[in-house]
This record gives sequence, C-alpha cells and structure tokens, in this order.
Amino acid sequence: MKFLFKFFSSVKLAIVLLIIITLASILGTLIPQQRSLDEYVVRYGQTAYLLAFLGFTKLYHSLWFISLLSLFSLNILICTLTRFFSKLRKSFQPKLEIEEKKLCALKIKDNLIKNWNLVKTQEELKKELSSHHFRLKGEVKENRTFLLARKKTLGLFGNDVVHLGLLIILAGGIISGLAGFRDNLTLSEGQILPVLKADFKIRLDKFETEYYPNGSVRDWKSTLTVIENGKPHLSKIVEVNHPLSFKGFVFYQSSYGWNWTNPSLEIWVEKINDESFLNKIELNLGEKVGLEGENIQISVSHFIPDFVINEKNEITTRSLQPNNPAAFIEGWQENEKIFSVWIFAKFPDFTRIKSEKEIDFTFELKDFKADQFSVIQVAKDPGVNFIWVGCSFLMIGLVLAFYWPPREIKIILKERQGKTEIIAGGIASKNREVFQSEFEKIMTSLRRLK
Amino acid sequence: MNESTFFIITFVFYIISAFFYFSFLFSKRENFAKTGFRIAFLGLLIHTLALIWRTVESGHAPFTNMYESLSFFAWASILVYVIIEGKFRIRKAGPYFMLIVIALMALASSPLMPKEATPLVPALQSYWLWLHVAVTLLGEAFFAVAFITSIMYLVAESKKRRGVKTGLSSEKLDSISYRCIAIGFPLFTLGGLVFGMIWAYKAWGGYWSWDAKEVWSLITWFVFALYLHTRLVMGWKARRSAYIAIIGFLAAIFTYFGVNYLLAGLHSYA
Repeated sequence: MKFLFKFFSSVKLAIVLLIIITLASILGTLIPQQRSLDEYVVRYGQTAYLLAFLGFTKLYHSLWFISLLSLFSLNILICTLTRFFSKLRKSFQPKLEIEEKKLCALKIKDNLIKNWNLVKTQEELKKELSSHHFRLKGEVKENRTFLLARKKTLGLFGNDVVHLGLLIILAGGIISGLAGFRDNLTLSEGQILPVLKADFKIRLDKFETEYYPNGSVRDWKSTLTVIENGKPHLSKIVEVNHPLSFKGFVFYQSSYGWNWTNPSLEIWVEKINDESFLNKIELNLGEKVGLEGENIQISVSHFIPDFVINEKNEITTRSLQPNNPAAFIEGWQENEKIFSVWIFAKFPDFTRIKSEKEIDFTFELKDFKADQFSVIQVAKDPGVNFIWVGCSFLMIGLVLAFYWPPREIKIILKERQGKTEIIAGGIASKNREVFQSEFEKIMTSLRRLK
Repeated sequence: MNESTFFIITFVFYIISAFFYFSFLFSKRENFAKTGFRIAFLGLLIHTLALIWRTVESGHAPFTNMYESLSFFAWASILVYVIIEGKFRIRKAGPYFMLIVIALMALASSPLMPKEATPLVPALQSYWLWLHVAVTLLGEAFFAVAFITSIMYLVAESKKRRGVKTGLSSEKLDSISYRCIAIGFPLFTLGGLVFGMIWAYKAWGGYWSWDAKEVWSLITWFVFALYLHTRLVMGWKARRSAYIAIIGFLAAIFTYFGVNYLLAGLHSYA
C-alpha cells in the first residue's frame, strides 16, 4: 500500500504516462477511427484483425486507453494531494528563519544598519512592506526579531487548482460517456415525435433553408415547439450554433433532407414541329394527366434526386440532395404504353425517347417540390456541467500559477547599542527578475529613511 | 486599392525588414536592426489595416479560410515579436523570426489558397469564431517566439562548447523561451481547448468528439505541459527544455496545417 502510494506520487510516473498517452493519441489520429471491419481489411489487409483486436480501431474508447487515463488521473490526484498538504502547512504555519547564514545564502539578499531601536525599525519595516502589499508575521527573541513578509501566497496553489480542474474535466468525461446519450429526430413540418427518455414531445412547426445570393447555404432554421402533457410549452427557432435547451435536453440543427417518395413535379411539354404548342403539367408520382388536344396521357413513374448509373449499370441515386434530378415519364394511349423517357432538370436537351412510334413531343422537368424534413439531434449530457466547472478551475489555476507568483521576504533584526541591523533575503520561485527589482526598491527606500 | 494591395505592401515591408535584420546579423551594426524593427512595425500597422479592411468588406472575422488565418497568424506573430523585442531586446532573434513570418505570408499568397471572401457557412456563424481562433493563434504566436529562441539557444550552446563567442547569453534565451511559453500556454489552453470545447458543444452538440484537430491540439497541450513539469518540478532547463519547446511548436503547426491536409475530420475550415 505504502509502495503503491509512493509509486503514484511520483512526477516521473506522470511524465511517463503523459508521453505514453501522447503517443497513443497520435496513433489514434493516424488510423481512421470507428469504421467497419471491412473498411479496415480493404485498407490494411490481414493487419486489420490485429488492429481491431488491440483496440486501435476505436482507440479512444478502448479499455487500455481508458485505463491509461484512469492511472493518469490517480497519479495527478496523489501527486497533488501529497504536495498540497505540505504547502498548506507551510502557508498557515510558516517557519521563521532564525539563522542568519541561511538568509545570506539566498540569491536575493541585502543588509543595512539604521540608527533606530528595534521597535521603531519594526514599525518602519511594516509601513514600507505593507505599501508593497506584503503581510507580516513576526516573533521577538531577546534582542532579535524574526520577520516574515509574504504576498500572493495563493499563487502557491495555482497548480493544485489546475490539477483539480483537470480531474473534474476527466470526471465529467466519464459521466458523459456513461450517462450521456444522443439521438436523431427526423421531422417533417407539423410532425410530432416523442423524445427518448423524456416526458415531453417535440413538434417541427416550420423548416426553412436560407441561401446567400451566390446560392450557398446561409442557414437552416427549424421552428421547434416543446409539447408537454399535450400542450405546447415553448417554441424556439433552432439554427446551427443556436440550439434549444429544455430540461437538460439540448436540440441541435443537425441535418436536413427531402422526402422524395411523392414529389410534385412540373413538366413542360412542347412539340418539335409546332412551336405554338406548350402544355404545362403539374402532377404527382403515379398520376396520369392528359395532354390538351391530344389523345395522349402522361405519367411519371420514378423520380430520382441525384441520378447516376452505377458500375452494375443500374439507375440509382447518388445522394438525397437534388443534385441531378431526373423523372421517368411514360406516355399512354388507351392504357397502352407507347413511349417512355428519362428527363433531367439540369440537362433539358438530353432526352432519348424509347418508342416504337414516331413521337413528336419534347419534355422538360421544370420544377420539383418535395416535403423537406429536418434532422434534429437530441443530446442529454449530465457530464457537461462538470466540464465547464473544470475548465473554470483550469483557467483560474493557470492564471494563479503564472501571474500570481508568491513572494517571501525573510528578515532578521538585530539591535546593538541603539542601532538595528536589518538582514533580509527574498524568495521567489517564478519571475525572479521582477521580484529582485521590487526587493531592491524596498531596501533603497529603507536606506533613505531617517 | 483593396485588401490584397494592403496585403502585398505588408509583405514587401516584412521582406525589407528581414533584409535589414540579416544585414545586421552579418555586419553587426545595431542601426540595421533598429531599421528592421521599425519597418516590421510599419508593416504590422499596414497589416492591421488590411485585416480591418477584410473584416469590413466580408462582414465576418478575418480568419475563416486558410489564406485569412495564415495572414492573421503572421500578424499575431509580428505583434508578439514586437512586444517581446520591446521588452527583452533580442534583436538577434529578428532575422530568424522574420523568416517564419515571410514563410507564412508566402504560403498565404500562394495560388493554392483561395483568396476571395466567401460567405460564412452556418457552422462558423458565431462570436466564438472570434474568441476561439484569435486567442488560439495569439497563443501559438508566443510558441513561435519560444521556438526561435529555443533554436537560438541550442545554436549558442553548441558554439559555446566549441569555444566560439556569441553575443547573446544563452541563459537569457532560455529564460525568454520560458516566459513566452508561460504566456502562450494559458492563452492556448483558453482559446484552443476551453473556447473550442464550448463552441463544439454549441455547434456540434458535443464538447469533445476525438476529432483529429481536437486530438492534435490536446497533443500540443501535452507537450507544453511536459515542458512546464520537467522544468518547474524536475528542474530540467536549457538543452532538454529547448528541445521540448521546439517539438511543442512543431506539434502546434501540425495541428494548424497538417491535420487539414493529411488527416480527415470535422474541423475542415482552417
């Protein structure tokens, strides 16, 4: 037990662990994480099985990486605690320096003799040091006085505060991992969906995409309403960077898309040999519409948002974005199919009508409308507050450690024949040059005093 | 006149400044260094105007793509250098530091970097863009100075061992490296990690997702944590400290560029 404690209180261990964790983290960025085993086999061949076995394919969630982090946390905790208590003792029950030799061995030191008695010297010193915000503590023994002037003592604990912050952040991470969850809600306008593990529902009132003049997306906005006990409770427009928070659940604008199963289409029919002929047809999938003045009906049997022909020579869609919308049109005469054709919204001239008869028509896919849906990510993360508290400690600790350097001046006063000798030594672990000039300033103004 | 004219004028100023600094290095005439410093300072002022111009023209923070962020990083580096030079008088670092700045400016003006200001994608429309990027890059600019002084330290030490006299005391270089890291580390922690986590939570729904950029900024942070612990607790100084500072800056630079071009991830803006 004692051995273990000693083992974990070592800074060397912390450094070794830090290096190992760093190397492991680097490895995790070189191997793509969280992919399927097939993908790894394609990439690495037989090695893939070894990588998966070692947990390198989901490294940051692997048992060994988490164990490393846990060891590191334990190490930080014990390192901090062992040093914290001795520092605490030192700052509440400071030892006064009674040996002149030790003061003279310090790098920052000075001594001078004043024509004052001990009491007067003490008063003057106190005045001078408090004007520099030092606090004084003293002890009188016979004809000597031992003084300790300190300031910014809190700076001693900067690194403890940093380490506490880190431990809180790590704890927050564990809580997030164990108790946090995420889910996606795919909502069409007007749709209401229950929220997993919550006693309320979410309704999408409106979804819109805003564009910049150059056509790129400016923003996605989903108007969400929280429905509690069947009644609307509150509404908010959720955008990227502006989530909705309610009862510990946070709703993010995550993605969007179209429901392409039943789009409404606008098709323009023209005749090659008759320029005055123009028929604008609006129809849904599967619906038959007659052409005006012709004994022909047309229908659309397929709509594909992002038309592509794959390597197996099949027609399919590359994505759910309307990048290359195409409609398959069929022409009918008395329930007999007389022609069929793919038409493309972006390539109106690219049409090849399949037919046994001569067909005089051209078709253009002028417009297509489909219901849009919005994908809202729901997250509940009870660890997140720990993270913010931990981050605050981290920053406060860093500022204390670097910009609130503790300073100590130890002084011995010796009275001899109505005169008093002042022997002073300064201690600063950081920013020594700045402290040295402050120390010199104090001593100079003491010298000037009559 | 437009933003790119200002950018080019700035670039020219930095090159002239570097020229004077190098003349100082070879001729040892202090006046050259002074002139170099003044020209770099003028360049900084014009650069500031260029950034303000860009901000007004595009309506958003001047670091939303690689060109903009490189230019901003060069600006932050010069700013930090001017401060450090003013405080510690490390003229000899000037020529080397100007080389880094010129490299950044040259990368920014390379034809591979699209320069036109594009409207902000939804994920970047947040005031956290200002806080996260500006504070992080400012912290990294301090790391850049520490990088230069650490290299100079190593060079000075090896010269000393060979018995060659150098003008700058190596203790001073070591102490300046530490001072820069003592400023850069809290800034990097605040901007890169803390603000980054807050923004990720607001925009992506999770404060940490082990994305390549996140991991690499953590690695950078680890390296500087290592620097501080070996130095402050174990009393490492001098050579070993200098090596860690150099590795730390290289990690920061890899986080900044390498991740975007070599590794895939969420953080695909700049």
